[in-house]
Amino acid sequence: MSYEVHRQQLPLFEEDGRAAATDDEHGRDLHYLPTLPDEDPYAAGHRTCAGCGPAIQYRWVLKAAGNDTVVAGPTGCMYVANSTYLCTPYTVPWAHTPIASGGSFTSGMAAGYEAMIRKGRYPGPYPNILVMAGDGSASDIGLGGMSGALYRNHDALFVCYDNECYANTGIQVSPTTPYAGMTTFTPFGKAIPEGKKLPPKNLAKMMAEGHPHCYVATTTVGYPVDLMNKTRKGLNHQGAAFLHCYTPCQKGWVYQTSMTVELGRRVVESGLWPMWEYRPEDREYHYFHPPVQRPVTDYLAMQGRFGHMLPEHVATMQAGANRNWEAIGMDVPKSLRELEDPARHKRLHDEEYSMPLNRGVGA
Amino acid sequence: MTTVHVESGLPISPGPAIRTPDGERFLDGIAGTRIRQNGCASAAYAALYANVDVICAYPIRPYTAIMMNLAQFIADGILDAEYIAADGEHSQFSAAFGAGSCGARAYTGSSGVGVTYGYEMYSIISGARIPIQMAIADRTLDPPGDFGSEHTDALCTRDMGWLLGWAATPQEVFDKSLLGYAIGEDPRVLLPQMIAQDGYFVSHIAGEVEMPTIAQVEEFLPPYQLPFPLDPRRPVSHGPQIHPEQGPPLQLERARAMEDAIPVIRGKTDEFARIFGRRYPHFVESYLLEDAEIALVISGGHSVTCRAAVNRMRAQGIKVGMARLLWIRPFPSDDLREALRGVKAVGVVETNLGLGGASYGGILSLDVTTALYQMTGERPLVTSFMAGLGGETVPISEFDWMAGKLGQAVARGSVEKATHWVGFEE
Repeated sequence: MSYEVHRQQLPLFEEDGRAAATDDEHGRDLHYLPTLPDEDPYAAGHRTCAGCGPAIQYRWVLKAAGNDTVVAGPTGCMYVANSTYLCTPYTVPWAHTPIASGGSFTSGMAAGYEAMIRKGRYPGPYPNILVMAGDGSASDIGLGGMSGALYRNHDALFVCYDNECYANTGIQVSPTTPYAGMTTFTPFGKAIPEGKKLPPKNLAKMMAEGHPHCYVATTTVGYPVDLMNKTRKGLNHQGAAFLHCYTPCQKGWVYQTSMTVELGRRVVESGLWPMWEYRPEDREYHYFHPPVQRPVTDYLAMQGRFGHMLPEHVATMQAGANRNWEAIGMDVPKSLRELEDPARHKRLHDEEYSMPLNRGVGA
Repeated sequence: MTTVHVESGLPISPGPAIRTPDGERFLDGIAGTRIRQNGCASAAYAALYANVDVICAYPIRPYTAIMMNLAQFIADGILDAEYIAADGEHSQFSAAFGAGSCGARAYTGSSGVGVTYGYEMYSIISGARIPIQMAIADRTLDPPGDFGSEHTDALCTRDMGWLLGWAATPQEVFDKSLLGYAIGEDPRVLLPQMIAQDGYFVSHIAGEVEMPTIAQVEEFLPPYQLPFPLDPRRPVSHGPQIHPEQGPPLQLERARAMEDAIPVIRGKTDEFARIFGRRYPHFVESYLLEDAEIALVISGGHSVTCRAAVNRMRAQGIKVGMARLLWIRPFPSDDLREALRGVKAVGVVETNLGLGGASYGGILSLDVTTALYQMTGERPLVTSFMAGLGGETVPISEFDWMAGKLGQAVARGSVEKATHWVGFEE
């Protein structure tokens, strides 16, 4: 004999209301937000930086998840900035885990609730179980544990908030740091003018390809309804789900703090962050085709971490973006194709709306 | 009994975990019988009786057989538990930690380099006060690759805030596993437990093990009731960042939990004897120590040979005895002083490696020496013996040799050296 495990099904937010939203000159809806739940499990009281992308993501994810939720947070900036003894912003149960334990600890929580409900130790329903791990935790030191948890298909949502560096420790390179992204472990100099030489690890694709039974999606803080709906889809999916969310870090990337959400749009519109959903039912990738396609300089020049890039580096970046456009089934306009030629570029810090160069040492 | 949390009025846990009908039938069938089984099987049977909720496994010899047994119990429908085949020991202990933090009774284990691979988790789990249990069938650390028993793996973790008990027979493995949960989950303690047994010497050699009734186990081991689980009905934050000035009181609390475990171990050991009819010493087995002039201090399975050696030497008129440590954390300083009072020379049998330590030998003698230094009145001489490393047996002849060295020390009034490497010296 055992008790049945009842699972929650969270309704998705309407996206039809977009028509009523204000459009900018590119046809992008600017102010559309559906009616959101009053629940706000990520409350005030944290110490994140002004314009913190991960904090925006944390708030939307937990708003979407609601109060019947248990959260794990591996070591990272969102551990250190959020939880201070006797003062944490969580109104839902939250636990810190070691940086490598995001996936494994969360799989233990899921297993614990499965067993406790079956054996009559918890009245249920099965709570939303999720972890929000930084890119260092999810794509680097805790990758094995994260993959193990997805492979074992625990009913939980594994979120990576990706600020493309180890921000907590003072902006060090992580596997998701973009090519030419300056960090304190990949500074630029005479011998290495581009800073980071390697292209980033494609974490979300790795998770989808490697764990085809899982719901996997990418999103950014530029698309709050998308972020919340993907959170709910991941939680509703019976089994493991992985959500890879782009979350700008103003401290590490050096941009105006009001531009966090705009960066979340532009990274998609410049082809550097393909936004998609992988559904295990049909084993297909469903790509989002943004209404605007921009040159990468529109994105890069907003950030001090790229300010050192030379024309050939920008061209390399544009070539990468163009390959991304092709991979998600969009045409690459001639204007963008031409930008694969270094002769078409200036040094990035000569771009007219460039931010000051990041010559600092991170934190 | 349903526990109701005062603030929320909600039941935190409705009652004891239910068992499967097949599990109840199976356990009713074996109750009161003696099963010949090795230490690994014993540990698995104890976890079955404890009705663990989550099992976190990763293969490494020799403890693996514990997890193999448990997997079979689940496959046969005898045990209802989530079985996590983890991607490594770090993940394995993390998953057990996560399950325990939610209020599930979690069980894990390892051997040798597996124990050290997950080292980060030990302080974190004890600091979080999550009383999961870990079985260790000990094994030599690399290099070189060696399957053999050596106590170094478990002893490396001794200061991380886990209760550390050492079993010398399969029966004791079974009993100590139940004791571990009962002590660790006690609200006065709330500490994780390592229940260690010697690899192969205990883990893979069969002995007779008495099977209790479910009622006996449930009387001794009430349902796991973490006072602060990760439960949406009563939100808590686990493990937030602290400021330096908050460090000392938290560390003091953990240190006190370890001290507070001492009376709980005494109480639970007595209660165990009342319910199951097997009486163990609380901390130290004193074997022929009353009139002994020399004594060997030992832990684990080699004590079986040591006891035989003591018997033979006694027959030859040598006044030798043995003190066996049943728990290494918390270290039983009082009980050891009491057991060794009047002894003139003590030799610590080190089946472990503590490179470059104060004795330039093993680990155990450091604690033993510290405990004995605090002895009022005349203190015994203390030396230590490196023996049984890499899985080598410690034969009776070696115990005879050690006793000889202790006899010489008594005659001389001083020890020859802090550490003897048995088999490498005259």
